[in-house]
Amino acid sequence: MVAEQKLSHTAALILMAVHTGDGYGFSVMEMTGLPSGTVYPAMRRLERDGLIRSQWERQSIADAEQRPPRKYYKLTRLGQATLESSQRRYPLLAKLAAVEGGQS
Amino acid sequence: MRIHLAMLRSAAWLVPGEQRAEWLAEWSAELWYVRQSGDRQTTSFCLGSFRDAFWLRRNRPSDAPPVPWLESPSQCLGFLGLLASVCVLLALRHHQPDMKLPVTGPILAMLYMAMMALPALPALTSLRLGEYPANRNGWRWAFFAGKIALLLPIVFLGVLDLAAMIGLKIHAGPIHCILVGNVAAFRWALIDQRRRCPECLRLLAHPARIGMPSQTFLEWYGTEFVCVKGHGLLHVPEIPTASFRTQSWMHLDRSWSGLFL
Repeated sequence: MVAEQKLSHTAALILMAVHTGDGYGFSVMEMTGLPSGTVYPAMRRLERDGLIRSQWERQSIADAEQRPPRKYYKLTRLGQATLESSQRRYPLLAKLAAVEGGQS
Repeated sequence: MRIHLAMLRSAAWLVPGEQRAEWLAEWSAELWYVRQSGDRQTTSFCLGSFRDAFWLRRNRPSDAPPVPWLESPSQCLGFLGLLASVCVLLALRHHQPDMKLPVTGPILAMLYMAMMALPALPALTSLRLGEYPANRNGWRWAFFAGKIALLLPIVFLGVLDLAAMIGLKIHAGPIHCILVGNVAAFRWALIDQRRRCPECLRLLAHPARIGMPSQTFLEWYGTEFVCVKGHGLLHVPEIPTASFRTQSWMHLDRSWSGLFL
């Protein structure tokens, strides 16, 4: 049993965007409408607290598409559990996922 | 593009050295994608990097080993004493008899400048040294007083030596530098004192983060340091709360000694 964290609305929104979006900083900014100065420090905090983990894309994949490699973020098990409890706490979060899912 | 990369490189100086290259690679890659997406907010995107870099600087894990020449109280006082001696020797060599000081006499002027720096100190760091057992209080205060007594001539004479070496007469500039230097020295002395074992006065090591922000009301969260000699643990709360106002020391008795060298 992992101890779930109680997140602020903004942190829960970013966690949700990491989960439902493409998993990199700019996609979180686009999904949430939050500025980079809010999104990146929040993602560092979520990573420090073990809710998300980051991984660099393989250089060969980026080279094949002639672009720089990206750093992707994924939810950990603790992050999944925290997101579920946050969705119960902030029901509007689920609507965000539905809207973004409909757009893509 | 160049100006935006220059902004990211400037912000990178705030990032702790061991994370800087990866941080810059991430932000540079993201900048490339922001530009590809045709987003016109590139400048505000880059400005956000300063906030991210500042967050990393503030929250850097302080797991670096203690500086060897400051670790034990004798090493610390010896190092400061050496610096103070160098400053005194340089002051004797570069003595400028026509220097105008705010108070007559170098010792009085040094104390006057120290007093002038004190009001600014509470704005920069907490004046509390933490909750410690009452035993060996005298040693702790003697060590603290020793550090201050050595820092004052280092700052005062160091700035005057530097001013004399580059040919500056004493006007407002060096006086301001002494004030700023004194504030920085007092701040360092307080922070250093808070990071020492109250029993052997060695710098504490092996910081470990404990708890989570959501536990603030029922538990504490923050950083725990350990004395390498096994005297105890120091709990430093991330945010002072009603139940955990300041850092507190937990003494470990002899039964724990098997865990330490």
